[in-house]
Amino acid sequence: MRRVTAMTRALLPPVWRSLPRRALAAAAAVGLLLAAVPRLQSGPPDPLVGLYSLRAAALVLALGLAFLLDDPARHITSAVPVRRPVRVALRVALVAPWAALTWTTALLLVPESSRPPAGALTLEAAATAVLALAAAALSIRRTRTTEPGAAISTWLLATGVTAALLLPPDWTLFVTPDDPHWHSTHDRWTLLLIVAAALAARSVTEPLRGRPFRRPSPEPL
Amino acid sequence: MSTALETPVRAAGPTHRPRPWAAVFALARFEARELRMNMSFLALAVLYMIWIVWQTTQRQSDFPILQNVDRGTQMMPVLIGLAVMLNVNRAVLRSRRRDTDRHFDVLVVEPWRRTIAHVLSAVPAALFIAVCVTVQFTWAALKPGAVGHGSPAELAVGPLTVLLFGVLGALFGRLFLSILAAPILLVLLLFAMTFAAPPSGNNWVSWLYPVVSETGSDAFPSDLLERPAAWHVLYLVGLALLVALLAVLASGGRSTVVKATVAASLALTLVGAVGQSGGTPAGSTPARERASVTPEKIRKCVEHGRSSYCAFPEWTGRTADWAAVVDRVQKLAGGRAGGERLTVEQRLDARYGLESDTLLPPSTEPGRVTVRTEWGGNRVPEFAVAVASVLVAGDEKAGTEVCDARVVTIMWLALGGEADPMSALSNVRVGDGVSGPALVLSPTEPFSMSAEQTRIVAELLKKPRYDVAGKVKAKWTELTSPETSMARVAELLNVSAEGASDGDACDE
Amino acid sequence: MSDLSSVPSAAPTVSAAGLTLRYGGTAALDDVSVRLGEGVTGLLGPNGAGKTTLLRVLATAVPPDKGAFTVLGNDPGTSAGRQEVRRALGYLPQAPGFHPDFSAFEFVDYVAILKELTDRTARHREVRRVLDAVALSDVRSKRIKKLSGGMRQRVALAAALVGDPGFLVLDEPTVGLDPEQRMRFRELIARAGEGRTVLLSTHQTEDVAMLCHRVIVMVRGRVRFEGTPAELTARAAGRVWSSTERDPGAWAGWRTGTGSFRNVGEPPEGADMVEPTLEDGYLLTLDGESSEVAPA
Repeated sequence: MRRVTAMTRALLPPVWRSLPRRALAAAAAVGLLLAAVPRLQSGPPDPLVGLYSLRAAALVLALGLAFLLDDPARHITSAVPVRRPVRVALRVALVAPWAALTWTTALLLVPESSRPPAGALTLEAAATAVLALAAAALSIRRTRTTEPGAAISTWLLATGVTAALLLPPDWTLFVTPDDPHWHSTHDRWTLLLIVAAALAARSVTEPLRGRPFRRPSPEPL
Repeated sequence: MSTALETPVRAAGPTHRPRPWAAVFALARFEARELRMNMSFLALAVLYMIWIVWQTTQRQSDFPILQNVDRGTQMMPVLIGLAVMLNVNRAVLRSRRRDTDRHFDVLVVEPWRRTIAHVLSAVPAALFIAVCVTVQFTWAALKPGAVGHGSPAELAVGPLTVLLFGVLGALFGRLFLSILAAPILLVLLLFAMTFAAPPSGNNWVSWLYPVVSETGSDAFPSDLLERPAAWHVLYLVGLALLVALLAVLASGGRSTVVKATVAASLALTLVGAVGQSGGTPAGSTPARERASVTPEKIRKCVEHGRSSYCAFPEWTGRTADWAAVVDRVQKLAGGRAGGERLTVEQRLDARYGLESDTLLPPSTEPGRVTVRTEWGGNRVPEFAVAVASVLVAGDEKAGTEVCDARVVTIMWLALGGEADPMSALSNVRVGDGVSGPALVLSPTEPFSMSAEQTRIVAELLKKPRYDVAGKVKAKWTELTSPETSMARVAELLNVSAEGASDGDACDE
Repeated sequence: MSDLSSVPSAAPTVSAAGLTLRYGGTAALDDVSVRLGEGVTGLLGPNGAGKTTLLRVLATAVPPDKGAFTVLGNDPGTSAGRQEVRRALGYLPQAPGFHPDFSAFEFVDYVAILKELTDRTARHREVRRVLDAVALSDVRSKRIKKLSGGMRQRVALAAALVGDPGFLVLDEPTVGLDPEQRMRFRELIARAGEGRTVLLSTHQTEDVAMLCHRVIVMVRGRVRFEGTPAELTARAAGRVWSSTERDPGAWAGWRTGTGSFRNVGEPPEGADMVEPTLEDGYLLTLDGESSEVAPA
């Protein structure tokens, strides 16, 4: 146990240095900018602007987090005795306080008069972020890619916009606080968070065996 | 690996003549194929096509209004545009991310020509959208219930939006070397599009966004839309061109031709932007005023059977559908109502703009029934309710104020002739239930139905139609009298009368 | 000190004069003049000698600060001339990048398009030809990320060869190859040199000995030797000897597998002289300036 602690402590600085900090910082900055939109607006407070700016901020933060597991040296680091869950957990642990701080700031940036229920919005943001991380972790587990961030961010955006445009009314995830389905919708968000977290937890473990099914190599042209 | 090695001895003479543009097109074809084979693009394209089929085969879409169908094609291509933008952006950044820049930079096709190829690679995607939009619109236009006129300019918006997004992907790729820039900018763009300036269409800012889909409760006749659609297309074309040329400029193509074309496309964009800056009128215009206040000067009246049907010129083909509903309802009515001459009038209130949800006041003249511009789906039983209420109460105003036992008669008349009366009942009620009290929708004002009335109507609708129809015709006078109690109505129609004494909506 | 007494017999296809390029304060190229003819020219030198910089300049990837050069009669100093040079150029950069999601065929096809091979049928035939030439036909539909390092290197060579360029610039093409692959590569390059001008940088004197008809040695951004491999070897004639102990008077010496020491430099009286190799000549040319071979 003490060895693990010592090793973790020793790992913290290099892991911190290997984080895609510019991407994360850019996402945080844009997220805060979006959250500041309601404050910059003149006129009477509009709760819808507050809601959508926070949702956009959450999406941008999640887009940044999609890059968290990008590690150009992955082919080197994947063969070390420190397990992948530890390495991933370290990355998440290093970023989590900053993410929480950014999100809290974003919430506070929205004036109280136009701020949607903070708990529910935090749930949405957390589910989106965990979904992004889970997708990145899954991508790392299933493919040889070292930097899944770009593909995952595309996927996350496409999924988000598709969900907003095409989900049937009974399944919709994006409702306004005055909607009678606000609470039932957030039960779905909770479910999404749990599923995403479970998927993420499953995906960070390193498989001991290869996949039983492998694609045959394509025929030559 | 033991293949004999061939000798790559140099062939004599040059093997190809320099054809700078052919290389750009070949590269564009290559990149377009990469885009086409991309999972996110493929998945969204399939989803889009499924959406078109689903959308067009819905019951509500049996009676499309083409000046609304064309605008309805605009929003969904944004989804494809998103995939195109991110993929073009990744393709532009690919050689930098994969460190092939060092090699490719010494190849004959310079970065700015590669940028043109990346821009062009979005064109097939835009053409794909154009085909889908054409199919979607033609499909709707070929439906027997289609009315109105589509506008090519409105139909062009979807493909142009996809092209614009693709071109933006190329520009972002040349301006920002990070792969994260495009997704973040896209979120900002979508946020601005949906929120910072909502696409309400009546201010000039909202027309700067590619898609301005103004939808309200009523479809307008096409001459009342007054959307600057053609200007908007000009604006989009200019903007796409401008963004593409800026991307070329950013990647080192600084020739005079490029600079001149940048200026020209900027001018084009500005002309389009100024042309559309009036936007759609938010409120009344003389034409809208006339159609709303004195529609009789515009409408054309057609006789079907006993009754007269007055519709806006684009809707005259639909009068037969209205007549079929009137006949169906009237056939179930007894007394004088069964042969009464009705005047069905199409009305709309266009004075508050395209996006308004206006409530039409019920007509006070006897025998007049209001029909709105939308038709199909729930609009059919709602119209039937209006017809039945006029037959029972005499005029629409009185019909919407009915709260006594006549509600049962009205509702049964309206829905008794339906093929699936129970689902029609749930469709005309707010909340989609078939028990308990609820508001009933009609083309004008809604009226309320008590729990007891609902129970009796539901029970009647489950009985054989001829059985109930006989009783209704026989007891018509008593059933249409405001004096008759709920209990008596239940008795007359042979329905159990539990608690019928207090089941009146007038008490609430 | 370029050896201009032994210019290529035929007219030079590539000639450069006074190339100078500075990065910050250090001169990566310092007044470099070379003339290349048809056939394979090897470029030797220790790390940091400016080999890659010279190749990048000749491949038009970076313009020189001073000096001029022509490739196959074209002057890359002008925009049109540079395009003409690039049309005749095949370049294999050091540690080339790949698009991992492309198949070998797609990648070479992509490069072919960038070389303005626009006729689809002819281009695909050409891509298949070069993939055949580097013996990758049977894996050409495999994604590059699934290929081994040696195969990737051959994909890069195919990308350089595509379009039948008259001037091939290869930056350490044999790095990371196993001996068999290296042999195969040498053969490929040797054949590519028939009728073409090939400039090849390498750390392997063997590569030069086996396939180059000319060799250039660079040290600290300057050309230290230009001539044939035989001439380079000849520089060590009478300057290589074997001894049982490390000879303190030698410029460089190293223990061989047999337990004796091989020394280069000025031999002492009565030394046990041995047959010089190209490597000996190279080491003598370096004059003890390489960090790799420290003076004994």
